[in-house]
Amino acid sequence: MSKAITKPKSVPSTQKSGTAKKTGVEQTKNRYYQRFHWAQRIAHALLLTSFTTLAITGLPQKYSLSAWGQFLINAFGGIEATRVIHHVAAVVLMLLSTYHVLDVGYKIFVRRVRLTMLPGIRDIKDAFQAFGYNLGFAKKHPQMGRYTFEEKLEYWALVWGTVIMGITGFLMWNPIASTRLLPGEIIPAAKAAHGGEALLAVAAIILWHMYSVHIKRFNKTMFTGNMSEDEMLHEHPLELADIKAGIAERPVDPKTLRKRQAIYWPIAGIISLAMLFGIYGFVGAEKTAISTPPLEEDSVPVYAPQTPTPLPTPTQAQGSGAFLFMWNDPISRIGDIDSSTLVRLQYTVQYTVKLFDWYSQEALCLKKYHPV
Amino acid sequence: MLGLFTENVMTKQPSIKFLRPVRIVLIILGIALILSVGVLLVNPANATPLLSPQELPQNEACLTCHNRPDFQRPLPSGETLSLTIDRDHYRDSVHSTVECTDCHANISEFPHPDLTAQSVRDFSLEMYTVCQQCHADQYDQTLDSVHQKVLAAGNTNAAICTDCHNPHTQTPLTDSNGDLLPEARLQIPQKCAQCHSAIYDLYAQSVHGAALTVENNQDVPTCIDCHGIHNIEDPTTTSFYLNSPLLCAACHTDAAIMEKYGISTNVLDTYVADFHGTTVTLFETQSPDQATNKPVCITCHGVHNIMRVDDPVYGLEMKQNLLARCQTCHPEATSNFPDAWMSHYIPSPEHYPIVYYVTLFYKFFIPGVLGPMAVFVVSDIIRRLIERRKGAKRA
Repeated sequence: MSKAITKPKSVPSTQKSGTAKKTGVEQTKNRYYQRFHWAQRIAHALLLTSFTTLAITGLPQKYSLSAWGQFLINAFGGIEATRVIHHVAAVVLMLLSTYHVLDVGYKIFVRRVRLTMLPGIRDIKDAFQAFGYNLGFAKKHPQMGRYTFEEKLEYWALVWGTVIMGITGFLMWNPIASTRLLPGEIIPAAKAAHGGEALLAVAAIILWHMYSVHIKRFNKTMFTGNMSEDEMLHEHPLELADIKAGIAERPVDPKTLRKRQAIYWPIAGIISLAMLFGIYGFVGAEKTAISTPPLEEDSVPVYAPQTPTPLPTPTQAQGSGAFLFMWNDPISRIGDIDSSTLVRLQYTVQYTVKLFDWYSQEALCLKKYHPV
Repeated sequence: MLGLFTENVMTKQPSIKFLRPVRIVLIILGIALILSVGVLLVNPANATPLLSPQELPQNEACLTCHNRPDFQRPLPSGETLSLTIDRDHYRDSVHSTVECTDCHANISEFPHPDLTAQSVRDFSLEMYTVCQQCHADQYDQTLDSVHQKVLAAGNTNAAICTDCHNPHTQTPLTDSNGDLLPEARLQIPQKCAQCHSAIYDLYAQSVHGAALTVENNQDVPTCIDCHGIHNIEDPTTTSFYLNSPLLCAACHTDAAIMEKYGISTNVLDTYVADFHGTTVTLFETQSPDQATNKPVCITCHGVHNIMRVDDPVYGLEMKQNLLARCQTCHPEATSNFPDAWMSHYIPSPEHYPIVYYVTLFYKFFIPGVLGPMAVFVVSDIIRRLIERRKGAKRA
């Protein structure tokens, strides 16, 4: 390994970047090659932020009953806020995907670059060879080109994931529009797929991407854009060879380029407009699922007293005694009582009679309930 | 009245044919009568009762007058306050051993102090606070109730203790274990119906209400099972709304009850797993006072008029009925839309197979992708460790 680094020293590169010039001391030791254009690096930064945002706002929704899920949802300001953040990040990712489609289209149809990201049988062979090498069965680590099988796996997994997440996300975001054509069951199915795919994507990023570019070796190329010759030789020897052979780039003469651009840009414009319109529809097509009319309560009045049975109107007393004992009797209205002797006497007599009356009733009761 | 007086005095008239001891007794009685009248006349302000309460079987003394069926008193409001206490009802009531004056503490003598209440309701409102003397716990609970809040706001129609528990006729509601008696369960909705008759009518037609009122089914909820007993909560609040699925779940996740009727106990879990239920659960735990437009059980199944899902007319098993429910919040929903809600089913090859197979696919796909990745990463780590050791040895 150490041999490989010292071997090529001062072969000038057409792709020598500005960074290499700045680090003048290293220039003699190590040559730097531009690997990622600034636009690609910005795209990666956007992908990084939107993906992370989607993951940290999405997974708590999948595991909303867990303590950590609820903690995160709370931290984002509640479930509705979490959903809004998730949707915003989703729109960023969709716009980024649109840009990427146009960018790739330009590279394929206008610049007609080598399709270095296209997977092939060779990648499978490389993977097995690398695995065999790790286990000690293969003597050599596979020599790979601009993109190793690990990187291709990463890229195509991302494409697959983004497509799945986009489609299932659309279904969940617009269930009413979706079920005009599709069976209703597709919505919970989309939810299941969205959750499963999310778990896969996040786990794969941690396991595969994090390991490959952070743990195995901290690869700063995606942030600086450059890769040293050492690293190139080690990781992308075939690409380095192509660069040195001058076949990495396929320059197009300005005339043909303009011609192709003249065809591509209108088509790209239409495609991008269609995609932007699609994103707009994605976000704004359906209102009823997110803003709903107030819920119906019971349609009956809460306070609806039953008509009480009317009390009997005051009549003459029907008790066993022959006297009247009514509260509307003026002498019984204690509040109105005047202290004349006559009234006092009347009252006293009434009460005495009342007592006799009670004793007689009680005697009857005793007879009734306790017959001798 | 004067007639009565003379009539009474007639009994005292002496007769030559009367035996001497009788005459003496009558004379003594007469003197005693005059003396007592004299005492009253001398000090009318502090009139002592003719008979102290201790001298009579207390409640019977009261019932002497108050057992009269038509005993009543007009009030300034024009209403009539019934003063009748039915002796038999009172004997059967839980308060049969309680003395009248325990509650009517202001009445210690006759004539009674006059009423200050202007209306029948005033009288009840004056009286009901005495319940707390013995029923402090229940009384304190009522202080948190919606009725108390409404009452405090000035609505005197709000229910107080005595509106539900007539203290003179209330029979026992619970057995010795504190469980509600079967007849009590029947009485409860009827009590509430006194003020909430329209809601009662809905309830009586519902699957729960009909089972109770027609079959006397003891498993179904009455009003208090959802609304509480004394601390009846305001059911129109957001927090009540958000918590309501747990009220339903109290019975509907109880296998012992649900088995009898062949009802699934997964209803809560399947609801919580759904988008709506997840949101409501999160609101319930995180912001119980923040309104959400997501449905709870009652939104689809009805608040008081809950019907069987297989009801031939209103049942939610009928797609059209379910769609109508969906459309209350999603007015543009079409006939396919209700299937977006899995009707409390756990996906299986029979029910919601697409969902089942998608879930199954990811069950294998995720480890199918991550597994080989992990194996490769581990092999790579081992290789690097080996090479580092080799490199160190060489160096």
